[in-house]
Amino acid sequence: MAAVPNDLLTVVPRGARPWLPGVLGLAVVAVLLGAFFYAESEWEVGVLLAIAAALGLAAPRVPLLASAETAWRARPRLFAWLALLAALGLIGLFREEHLALLMLATALFHIAACMGLNVQFGYCGVVNFAGAAFFGIGCYTAAMLAGHAALPTALIFVLGGACAALIGCVLLVPVLRTRGHYAALVTLAFGVLFRSFMEVNDTFGGPQGVKLPDMTLFGWALAMPPEWFGLDWSFYVNYALLGLALVAGLFVLLSRLERSWIGLALDVVRLDETAAATFGVQLTRWKIFAFVLGNFLMGVAGAMYAVMIAFVAPSSFTLGDSLILVSIVVLGGVGNQWGLLPAVVIVMLVPEKLQFIQEYRFLLYGLLVIAILLFKPDGLLPRRLRRYGTEEAA
Amino acid sequence: MRIRPAFRRLAGAVLCSLLLGQSAAFARETVKIAFIGPLTGGISAHGIGGRNSAELAVQLRNADPNAKYTYELEAMDDECKPNVGVQVATKAASDKSIVAAIPFYCSAVAIAAVDVFHKFRMPMVVWAAVLPEITYGNDYQEVNRVSSTLINQNKVGSKFLVEQGYKTWVSIHDTTDYGKSMHKYFAENLPANGGKLLAEFGVGSDQQDFTAELTRIKELNPDVIYFGGLTPLAVRVITQMDKLGIKAQFQGTSGIFGDAFIKSLGAEAEGVFTTYDMPPVEQLPGGKFFLDAYAKAGYKEGFEAYGPYAFAATSLLLDVIEQVGPDRKKVIAALRDTHGKDSIVGKIEFDDHGQNITPMTTMYVVQDGKWVAWGESDYASGKRKLKNL
Repeated sequence: MAAVPNDLLTVVPRGARPWLPGVLGLAVVAVLLGAFFYAESEWEVGVLLAIAAALGLAAPRVPLLASAETAWRARPRLFAWLALLAALGLIGLFREEHLALLMLATALFHIAACMGLNVQFGYCGVVNFAGAAFFGIGCYTAAMLAGHAALPTALIFVLGGACAALIGCVLLVPVLRTRGHYAALVTLAFGVLFRSFMEVNDTFGGPQGVKLPDMTLFGWALAMPPEWFGLDWSFYVNYALLGLALVAGLFVLLSRLERSWIGLALDVVRLDETAAATFGVQLTRWKIFAFVLGNFLMGVAGAMYAVMIAFVAPSSFTLGDSLILVSIVVLGGVGNQWGLLPAVVIVMLVPEKLQFIQEYRFLLYGLLVIAILLFKPDGLLPRRLRRYGTEEAA
Repeated sequence: MRIRPAFRRLAGAVLCSLLLGQSAAFARETVKIAFIGPLTGGISAHGIGGRNSAELAVQLRNADPNAKYTYELEAMDDECKPNVGVQVATKAASDKSIVAAIPFYCSAVAIAAVDVFHKFRMPMVVWAAVLPEITYGNDYQEVNRVSSTLINQNKVGSKFLVEQGYKTWVSIHDTTDYGKSMHKYFAENLPANGGKLLAEFGVGSDQQDFTAELTRIKELNPDVIYFGGLTPLAVRVITQMDKLGIKAQFQGTSGIFGDAFIKSLGAEAEGVFTTYDMPPVEQLPGGKFFLDAYAKAGYKEGFEAYGPYAFAATSLLLDVIEQVGPDRKKVIAALRDTHGKDSIVGKIEFDDHGQNITPMTTMYVVQDGKWVAWGESDYASGKRKLKNL
């Protein structure tokens, strides 16, 4: 979370329960999300989308909704914990719904990957249009190591990230030397290159792809339905929990990073390179840091995703998939980790829920994205400017 | 006042039952099946053609007064991406109201998602994907396929040409999965049939110049050039063969079949031989019926290469459901027990892996600017001769 601005702090209701509207707001979001997973018929999905749109548009104008936002901003830690609890509650509620859990886990792994992009894009201003390629490197690393080496699963996840970071280093020189469109082109080219390389390379499964075996994480069989509390669970619960743990962990890490002097240095590099250099901030060092860290996170997310889907093929890592990752970041509000949540719902879950209109679903989804960017050009939840002096108060 | 609505309702019911022919139609239970294919993206034409054909089979069945159930087809889009395929397969398989599925055009998607069907114990019949491993890669009772694998056309084609008197071959194939698999099964089958493979050339699927390969081939002087790849590449190879004066007979695979090949080559196409996994649609047992019904249904899009298979797979599945009821376990057992079942693509015969082994591979030759089934061509009757014989 960005630091809490002064003017917002003063609006915090001084009543007995200032957190109440915040809790209510969170409950509404959780209920909406839960209902969205349950919704099957056309009109259910339509009504839910309409409610969500109405709430989003009305939020700044209705006092109660606005105070919910204020409460979230006033107690970011408390509400992060509550959000985690709400997510756990949803997972518990859906314990037998395979598809809902699969979608939830897919969304969580993509949020984690987008957090990596956010470090590059949102914090440091390094463009990367090859997100799917780094995600894919993580996937392929997991597939290769799981198939041919007897390594612990946790190590495979880390190595997935490490490989993505390492291979990403090939791009360091061009990324550092180019700016704007040119940097975008360099990463675009890398994304295309990655896919072609995987297609012609038989060692990595060729165009047909490779299968992953079932995995066990510290004795926890990921592909088996767990037997907790004597209830029936879908085996996708394991992956949803894994994804939630990853996202929660990254959230803590990145919030701290953002508030630290590292986050400050990254911000300066993004906002004004000349000024940054004048004040002795090493541009090269921080760009490399952001690029490598971002790729690492995407690789880790990819490795976990591959273990869940149990199959990787080059056709899952096209330019279109890279653009999906970028559009999640842009739609949510560049640099704001919370923004990824509504964005991932729109970009990844809505098209799935629109299966009933078949070949027209991408059209509708495209219109939705255009409409959002027309009315909210900074994304759904734009990142606030940091202000010093208020941090301690929060 | 109270009588009126009740009366109206009664009259409505009577009218409805008159219209539908029998009141039993009311009691029909609705049964859902899923169709999965690429409905968006580069090859969506094939997916939509398959979907229309499957839908047609369902409509025809629903119009049949003797059907025990009313069927509903839920079409899902896999975008030809394995991860999306796993997702929609999970969606179909975990939905208990869906009894069975007609999935997959893309082999990569099929390979990734067969596990899902196995895990959830959902019966399915693949309608188009051709890679052998989909049925033979695992021992899954749930997985069946009406379309042929690419093994058969290589077996049939090489055997036939050896019988015609050819002795030596050279293989050119593109290095995509399609071309490589084609070559693999060709090279496996040729020696068994008594032919000899002199050399193999893997070429890029967008390669323009083949002078190097063809010069070497001219030295080797084979009777036949085998080609595993798609139309554009084949056109370039044949044009350059003629320039270099190579006289070998050209043997293609399903990848070159289609009007585009003849249009691009003109007279040079004469006498090109290929195998393709379907007899001409008009010659299929129910081909004419299918063509008429499809035209009557008024779909905007064509049914494309695998539409008849989608129709046959759906009809087969509906027959089985009629027979044993909408119960996944029973459908799995009854589907695997399909032997000598009539369909519009010929008799369907599943082996112990659920693969349809009725040979549908048909040999074609270009005659006067048209693909003609071998048996009906002037080449078979002896009026014309293939090259090098």
